[in-house]
Amino acid sequence: MRRRSPGFLLAAPAWAWLLIFFIAPVAMVVWFSFGYKPSIFATQATDKLSFDRYAEVLDPTFFATFQNTLWVGIAGTALCFLIGLPVAYWMAVKAPPSKRGLLVALVMVPFWTNFLVRTIGWQVILSPDGWLSTALQAVGFEPLAILNTRGAVLLGVVYNYLPLMILPLFVAFDRVNGPLREASKDLGAGKWTTFFRVTLPLAQPGIIAGVLLVYIPLMGDYITATVLGGAKGNMVGQLVASQFQTAQNWALGSAMAVVLIFVILLSAGIGAGIVWLVTLPFRARNRLVIGPPAPVPSAPSPGSGPAAASASIREEVGA
Amino acid sequence: MSDRLTRRPRRSWSDVAFNVWGVLVMLFLFAPILVIIVSSFNVGRLLVSWDHFGFDSFLALLAKPAIRDAVWISVQTGFIAALVATVLGTLAGIAMSRNPGKWVWWFLGLLLLVSVTPEIVDAVALLPWMVFLGQDLGMSLFNDGIVRLVIGHSLFSVAVVSYLVRARLVGQEANLEEASADLYATPVRTFRKVTLPLAMPAVLAGFLLSFTLSLDNTVIAAFVSVSGSTPWPVYVLSALRSGLRPEIAAVSTIMLVLTLIALGLVAYVLRRAGDSAADIARTMGGG
Repeated sequence: MRRRSPGFLLAAPAWAWLLIFFIAPVAMVVWFSFGYKPSIFATQATDKLSFDRYAEVLDPTFFATFQNTLWVGIAGTALCFLIGLPVAYWMAVKAPPSKRGLLVALVMVPFWTNFLVRTIGWQVILSPDGWLSTALQAVGFEPLAILNTRGAVLLGVVYNYLPLMILPLFVAFDRVNGPLREASKDLGAGKWTTFFRVTLPLAQPGIIAGVLLVYIPLMGDYITATVLGGAKGNMVGQLVASQFQTAQNWALGSAMAVVLIFVILLSAGIGAGIVWLVTLPFRARNRLVIGPPAPVPSAPSPGSGPAAASASIREEVGA
Repeated sequence: MSDRLTRRPRRSWSDVAFNVWGVLVMLFLFAPILVIIVSSFNVGRLLVSWDHFGFDSFLALLAKPAIRDAVWISVQTGFIAALVATVLGTLAGIAMSRNPGKWVWWFLGLLLLVSVTPEIVDAVALLPWMVFLGQDLGMSLFNDGIVRLVIGHSLFSVAVVSYLVRARLVGQEANLEEASADLYATPVRTFRKVTLPLAMPAVLAGFLLSFTLSLDNTVIAAFVSVSGSTPWPVYVLSALRSGLRPEIAAVSTIMLVLTLIALGLVAYVLRRAGDSAADIARTMGGG
């Protein structure tokens, strides 16, 4: 009586749409990456398959760009975390509850402003003929020379991805805020002890989500480096784009895209492993103190409503 | 409570430090946006060097059909892409919440894959795919600029709407639908009269978010767009190479206002549906 209609068929259009316009194109790129560029007029051919394009990707000049991207990715994610963590904590815990909505809105506005426009804003600020440079020169400094360097790219990515770090951390701290922290303080723990042994472990899913939400798109970034990096601040995203748009070598571009995905997955996996090892002693200590009857600290409780969906997704990301 | 009473008189240095840091980061987040807005009132040849205040750049927009066309293409694409994403995502979200099972994990896995894949990968994959469909298979539909943009822009949005609708419905019991079925409503009627209204806040929020996502999409648009239907971010990207003029800042300011209106509506819809600041942050912070 209840389950009369095969309701899961409602998802069929979305399945089909994503299979045709996401899975199939990506699969085609993987296939192209084993092909080659037959002549200057053709973009790719796949009648002979080989790993030659991958050998080409690992050539020293390309390798240097990969290294550069990895450096920007890791440094950018770390800076986002260090800058964003206190802000998220401030928004969720320190700021008066009545102001919280406003603060969230304030972080949301840059997040939803066009990525390219925000980055151009930095280009204007950092320009050697811009007002900041002029003002600095008036006080006796050299003209700004940061534009078109790796430093400018780092600044740009930290700026562009910071809201993606702050928002999940805010949600995580907001969930922890309240009774548990009070209890910790009532039991005699100081500010720092409460933060490191109650708040931070409970905010773990948010931290994992934030780090991945910043790191993955940052590694594939194409706009920031194009606008701020010039010739010196190359990233892999630009290499891939140039193979498709200017060099018209789709085979090589595809191989680069595949390698990029592998580098992201591999480095995220290695990072997760390192974090797991480093925090092992702390987690062991925490478990001892709180004890098995209260399985709060390690697993994020599958909350109700919207929290459940995002928490389960984050767990998958973190796994 | 007692904590507040005892602490009220003096503020610890750490609280002050948090406030200062928070305000500084907020200023950092707004700096380039304010610069763009101010620059749009610059009268001069180049965006970077300030000349004097005026509305010339906005008037120049009216005179330049290329920018006007680009904005119009973006608005059209945004509307259609949001419509497509909302229909597909709403149906998928309802299916996930009302017919749970093993397939839901597979589907969520697919959505996760769609939402974490770097945009540049989507972009370079869609370009050859569109060429394949349009030229090799002769489906001329896929040579159309707007169709290509709508497809490219809808991928991420389908995932966003599906998450939102599922999250909204999972939190509510299916009792109402069962009652409706027990009262002899047909499945279609139950869907229209019960399920859809329950999901409505998420559907509306999803539509508006999809619209803004499409309006601002730059990377995928730069790859799939064909000449003759250039959306505005791609126009800006190409202007980057030929020198930035104040008109670029003016069009950016206008689009920013449009985005803010859409976001304000999202927040309003969610507030009315009873969400807290944290809920809204979760909804609008990318799932």
